[in-house]
Amino acid sequence: MQPVNRMKTEFLSKSSNEAFARVVAASFVAQADPSIDILADIRTAVSEAVTNAVIHGYEEKEGIITMECILYQDHVEIIIEDHGKGIEDIEQARMPLFTTRPDLERSGMGFTVMETFMDSLEIESAPGKGTKIRMTKQLVYR
Amino acid sequence: MLMDVRFKRDGTALIAYIEGEIDHHTSRILRERIDSKFIVEPVKNLIMDLSRVTFMDSAGIGFILGRMKKVSSIGGEMSIRNPRPEIMKMLKMSHIDSLIKLDT
Repeated sequence: MQPVNRMKTEFLSKSSNEAFARVVAASFVAQADPSIDILADIRTAVSEAVTNAVIHGYEEKEGIITMECILYQDHVEIIIEDHGKGIEDIEQARMPLFTTRPDLERSGMGFTVMETFMDSLEIESAPGKGTKIRMTKQLVYR
Repeated sequence: MLMDVRFKRDGTALIAYIEGEIDHHTSRILRERIDSKFIVEPVKNLIMDLSRVTFMDSAGIGFILGRMKKVSSIGGEMSIRNPRPEIMKMLKMSHIDSLIKLDT
């Protein structure tokens, strides 16, 4: 399937960029005129993925996060990538309420939120190599 | 300003009127402001009014649970007021509504 539009941006792993990333992603997807609910879901999932990169990927040190949004006729694909620490056990990380950082009052719901709010979620990660999150969302109700 | 909070005291309860977006970035600031206010006021209960919260991700869940633990540890109660539908979706998904009194 041919993309209708695509964009890619990169930014520093600062917590202030969590809001930047979700606003940019939602603005880009808005051109497809989806419902407000769909945009809200995308905003939330992007926020979770970027927050994970900031806290877990780079452990709040400086690094680069890239975000790519590819718009198709009926869905959007969003890829968020860091070159940080990586995830040792992806299955464990996906478990609801699992967190490696209870000291930060983390709820351990990040991946659960991404899975619930989006239609698909793929996680590619290896220790020392970073993490790539690929999520898709249908833009029309079927 | 992505987020702001104002306070009002109602008997033994501190009401925190939160405005804006709650994420990992803003929840750290929010936590400090609420915790430091809660400790100096003669209150034991905490009410969070979310009517003007326009965005909340799972960092907000961690933040709410963290405040609930603090309030419970001194024998107080915490409740949430007036979340918008999109915030309600996050609260329901995390089942926090089974732990905390919710006034809609």
